[in-house]
Amino acid sequence: MSLDVQQTISDEAYRDLEEAVGPENVSREPAVIDCYSWQPFANDNPERWVIRPVAVAMPGSTEEVQALVKAIGRHGLKFKAFSTGWGAYSSPTSEGVVQVDLRRMDRIIDIDEKNMYAVLEPYVCGAQLQAEAMKVGLNTHIIGAGPSCSPLASATSAWGVGWDCCYMSYSGRNLLGAEWVLPDGEILKIGSLGSGKGWFSGDGPGPSLRGIVRGSTGALSGLGIFTKAAIKLFNWPGPPQIKTTGMLLDADSEVPENLRFCMTFWPDRKSQDEAIYKISESELPYIFSRTGLGATISIATPHLMKILVKTKAIRKAVTADMKWGCTLIMVADSEGEMAYKEGVLSEIAEQYGGAVINLTEAKPVIRMFLMNFLRGTAVPVVFRMGGQMFTALDRNDTWDAQMDWAGMGETVKQKWIDRGGILDDMADNPYMVTYEQNTWGHCEEIFQYDPRNPEHLAALEPIFVEFSVEAAERCMEPLSSTDARLRKIISPMMGHYTSWQQKISGFLDRDRAADTGMYCDEVDFDVNKLEPEMRSRIEKLVEKYSWTDEGPPE
Amino acid sequence: MALEDYRNDMEGCSRCSSCKWVPYNQIKSWRFAKNCPSVVRHNFHSYSGSGRMITGHSILLGRSELNDDVADMIYKCQMCGACDAACKVYRDDIDLTEVLLELRAHCVESGSLIVEHMMMLDALKAEDNVMGEPKAKRGEWAEGLAAKDINTETAEVMFHAGCRYSYDEELRPTVRGAVQMMLAAGVDVGIAGKEESCCGARIYELGYRGEAANYADDLVSRVKASGAKTLVTPCSDGYAALKFLYPRMGKDLGCEVMHVSQFLGRLVDEGRLRPRNEVPLSVTWHDPCHLGRMGEPFLGDWAGDKLERPMSMKRAGKKGVYDAPRDVLASIPGVELIEMERIREYSWCCGAGGGVYEAYPEFAVWAARERLDEAAATGAEALVTACPWCERVFRDAAAESGSSLEIYDLADILLKSL
Repeated sequence: MSLDVQQTISDEAYRDLEEAVGPENVSREPAVIDCYSWQPFANDNPERWVIRPVAVAMPGSTEEVQALVKAIGRHGLKFKAFSTGWGAYSSPTSEGVVQVDLRRMDRIIDIDEKNMYAVLEPYVCGAQLQAEAMKVGLNTHIIGAGPSCSPLASATSAWGVGWDCCYMSYSGRNLLGAEWVLPDGEILKIGSLGSGKGWFSGDGPGPSLRGIVRGSTGALSGLGIFTKAAIKLFNWPGPPQIKTTGMLLDADSEVPENLRFCMTFWPDRKSQDEAIYKISESELPYIFSRTGLGATISIATPHLMKILVKTKAIRKAVTADMKWGCTLIMVADSEGEMAYKEGVLSEIAEQYGGAVINLTEAKPVIRMFLMNFLRGTAVPVVFRMGGQMFTALDRNDTWDAQMDWAGMGETVKQKWIDRGGILDDMADNPYMVTYEQNTWGHCEEIFQYDPRNPEHLAALEPIFVEFSVEAAERCMEPLSSTDARLRKIISPMMGHYTSWQQKISGFLDRDRAADTGMYCDEVDFDVNKLEPEMRSRIEKLVEKYSWTDEGPPE
Repeated sequence: MALEDYRNDMEGCSRCSSCKWVPYNQIKSWRFAKNCPSVVRHNFHSYSGSGRMITGHSILLGRSELNDDVADMIYKCQMCGACDAACKVYRDDIDLTEVLLELRAHCVESGSLIVEHMMMLDALKAEDNVMGEPKAKRGEWAEGLAAKDINTETAEVMFHAGCRYSYDEELRPTVRGAVQMMLAAGVDVGIAGKEESCCGARIYELGYRGEAANYADDLVSRVKASGAKTLVTPCSDGYAALKFLYPRMGKDLGCEVMHVSQFLGRLVDEGRLRPRNEVPLSVTWHDPCHLGRMGEPFLGDWAGDKLERPMSMKRAGKKGVYDAPRDVLASIPGVELIEMERIREYSWCCGAGGGVYEAYPEFAVWAARERLDEAAATGAEALVTACPWCERVFRDAAAESGSSLEIYDLADILLKSL
């Protein structure tokens, strides 16, 4: 990947961009556009810079987006759009790309209380939507990347998991309709919006293209730009605003009476897994997360963590004695409902030999963490320990399969902790949630590192590759297949899925105006730079699992 | 220090954009969720705290160059510290405001200067104030007051009025009133009158560090000569300089430093001022950035790896002055305080700071109007604050927008009640 900073845009093309969005909303000043080139998160390149766009443009309306993409296409350039722009996947993956920053499109157009949805523009963040939704007794799904991220972006274009997935599902499932500017500038309205019936359904009576829009991951601007979307909202039985003082570790929130905050611990993995299935089936949690004590300590008290990792007893407690547990928040619309939920939880605990610690009365704890669980307000604290974090490939599957994946993740992480490639969080940092009160769940392994440590930077790519290989060897799909290098290796093992994506892209984007690097492109990966053992494992995988023209391998 | 010294801070930016938002716990609405006037007004990421750090990093690495346009971008920032306070909710290892200050110093050292700021510097050199007003008129605000002249006498308390309060005729009654209240309470207070000079805070923020140090030396020697045990200033900019900048530069004033809101509050607490008169007014309080998050005392330099820095040594804004003015308001009969959404560490800036009022007045007034909108949304009749720069730009913005919101200084309200 070239990180060339010298690429330029012609004066004529630049004038057309100015014409489309106004001269004050376009820049090709190197210092300005370099601010779009620094993306250390989700970037395994030790440089941490990404390819510099040739210009940055900020449209303020759907019409301006249309004019912009047409101008870009006319001049043989490409576009890459983002909403809030956090992470390397927001950035250009090739040369000649105009970065489209959608922050001027920041309105909540409607909150339909009766039909429980909101219509948004791209730069509305999760915290804004939640604050407004709660005023009318509703709530919105907040993704794991936190409340600064755009609900529209995660619903239409990128992942979308969070602690509330048990109750509010993941972002792609909450997309009810969208206004979509295709790469040629035409507008496509999907869902019920597409037949002029409003925003209430993603599956018609207008065209339902949610499968194409989203797939499992989203196209990350590879299929056009979404300018409005309707997002499903959910019941919120709490107050219109949770009164909170303080900002995070000093936070003090008023806890609604109809809310319970519980930690559970189980004697072994089997008991934990069975209990979690029961908890989900019983529709108990509003918020659910597997408890990673290493994660909690490293995030909340990173200085302490650096001391505790040297203590054998603490390490054993975290990694063995208290390993099996989950945290849940329950809410209820009535006292009777809460009594039922508490009773069921107690029964599950009794059945599987677990312990439920109701921390609702432990005021300092719940009052400090309540907003974090409801809004994800502590997410960027993950940077405190080292300055940067990464997530090993995430995946969605049954809870049992997720636990297998978490176990593998701990093994890989411990190896790299021992090698000094990442920070020591006792290798206990799985981000795990359940979906839609059922057996389906999500897992990704978080690891923290210091971006100013050359050894940590050098370890990023090998760790990323190792997780991918581990997944492939277990016939697990590494869902974050946004890396064009890995995609080229993995796609043939999965029925050459990218060829289908490329056909969709070719149909919707005949002039190739969208930057499809995060969507369906494939580029060569120089496996020779890997350690021999890893190279050998990849070669065996390719040989064993790749599809041929005749079909799947034996 | 040089830009290179902040490489770790700049490289630490994860580009999470927390610097653009009110800390997430405190986002209460769509309308007032953002915290940075610069990026809200100009939109490009380069106008955010993160963006300015990336700009510095880019310049340091030679990926881009400092030119007039880039300097302009760097200076379209009030240096209000909202980005830093939001960042430090999550990070121990980044001192965002320090990077912004260093970037400005780099502009000055590189000759990328803003004309209006050069005029401020010239005015300062000629008349000892950044407003270009005659030095001889600096003491006019205090004519007829019975305060001591600390140029010839000693006093327990030295009152440093600051540039804007001294010269802005609309604001002069405020400082007169403050000193009158101190005198009425029996405080042995002195002023420097026409000999008072700028504290140097504003030019420090513009990147002219050497000149700022000279003015600090001047004030230090004046305070020491006065024999004052307490230095009181009504200027929030000045307060931040005295509490943070001076100790940081190694300038020891050798006395207690208080903002006038704290000092008047102390007099109320001690019963030396007794607010008795009803002031039937619903008000909202604007936390001046340099009284609040930027008014935190200097906590000492941390020489080691910032990842290991204890939280007690982070300049996170928590130790700023927030409660003292609210307590004074609470002591006044009839005053009802209605809080805005963005307060304390995450208060929205008035728009005047960092040389913006002088170089980019439209931007300053725009930011002030945003704040007036927020104040109006509370339903309060008046906005109260305690900083002359805030008051000036609020009055300008109110006049321009036709806002019916009254603008008061805390001292004005307290005086009404006595």
